[in-house]
Amino acid sequence: MDKAFLIQFTGSMAAVAVLVGLAAWARIGRPSPGLDEARARDLLAEDFPDRQVDQLWIAREGRGALARSGACALVLIQVGDGYAARRLSWCQASSAMFRNGQLDIRLGEVAAPRAVLAFDNWPPKDLAA
Amino acid sequence: MDDIDPVGLAVPFFILAIVLELLLGRLGWAQARYEPKDTFTSLAMGLGSSVAGLATAGVIFAASLWVYQHRLFDIPMTAVWAWVMIFLLEDKTYYWFHRLSHERRFWWASHVNHHTSQHYNLSTALRQTWTGGVAGTWLLWLPLSLIGFPPAMVAIQKGISLVYQFWIHTEAIGRMPRWFEAVFNTPSHHRVHHARNPRYLDRNYAGILIIWDRMFGTFQSELESEPCRYGVVKNLATFNPIRVAFHEWAAIGGDLLRAKSLREAALYVFGAPGWSPDGSRETSHQIRARWAAGQGPEQVSPAAAEATAPTPDARSGSPA
Repeated sequence: MDKAFLIQFTGSMAAVAVLVGLAAWARIGRPSPGLDEARARDLLAEDFPDRQVDQLWIAREGRGALARSGACALVLIQVGDGYAARRLSWCQASSAMFRNGQLDIRLGEVAAPRAVLAFDNWPPKDLAA
Repeated sequence: MDDIDPVGLAVPFFILAIVLELLLGRLGWAQARYEPKDTFTSLAMGLGSSVAGLATAGVIFAASLWVYQHRLFDIPMTAVWAWVMIFLLEDKTYYWFHRLSHERRFWWASHVNHHTSQHYNLSTALRQTWTGGVAGTWLLWLPLSLIGFPPAMVAIQKGISLVYQFWIHTEAIGRMPRWFEAVFNTPSHHRVHHARNPRYLDRNYAGILIIWDRMFGTFQSELESEPCRYGVVKNLATFNPIRVAFHEWAAIGGDLLRAKSLREAALYVFGAPGWSPDGSRETSHQIRARWAAGQGPEQVSPAAAEATAPTPDARSGSPA
């Protein structure tokens, strides 16, 4: 491999490391105090404006949420200081693996492989029939 | 002059500008949001893009050279008029390349990664494609060599355009003077382009001159009443650069396996992003239409949008 290219590539990787370090030091991400119900509903309304939320469960420390909307489940996944939302069938969400206080929903997308939400129990006790 | 590489020359400036934006944000003198993992993904995408570009650079150069050998005119690289012409023609080519990259899924699959950050800062500018060479959008620039512009001249102008577009990826600058906003692409115009609000979807494709969007009906000014929410319609739930680079290609592959006819397969690949045979997904056009249906006409019209646009400096966070 070309020596000049290797030097340039190594220098670039070092620059990336320094800039990421600076970004971590600066602590200037969006404030993310964790989701409460109102914020979760707002975020779901942005991504699914036509869907009504029947029931909503906020994950521990507000790090994500899961909502039931008819036969669908709407998921909010924390991504850094932002969120990604996905819709899936309620069956898929309700039958997801729950272990050690974490609900692990396989989303089957390269862009969003899974949603891991921390709950005290699953299925929730207040789940409507 | 043939050896000039504007992007290569600008790399130290890119790094210093990001450091400056970070420091100004840290000091509270400018609006700048950086999330470390997001920054890593953006910079890794930029580095990977440079490496991936090497794989197809030879083919692109050879094709440009071959077309140039069959040129219609001899255009001197030393003439000022030739640089004015290449500036305008390259920028118009960029507009259509960019529009194609948003409106047809095959090219969106290559371009989407540039839009996957939920942040908008100078590092986002470097979140570049790894698959642009394979997607073949470089073919759009070949007619310039066929006209008679030397390939080196086209490459330099493309580099100048890319370097210009770096500084507009920031929230630290509010609005430029009115005359500048009218003619040039600016941070304000490009924030709109990176926003996922229905009103802002598929707007402002400009490279350097915003006049193309005004001419072809894709211009939308930034509204103080509607702050930009950055990212894509379905935001990614990963910072993994490999997933960011290839997720839409993988999604196309999955859809092709489900296609029930050749027509479906063709539309999955070359239709608008979000197209589906049963309408279970939405294209940007459909999202905008649904949003517009829920608004009064005065809320939607470009004239009203202009009227409610913030005044210069209204959202400026530049240091006093």
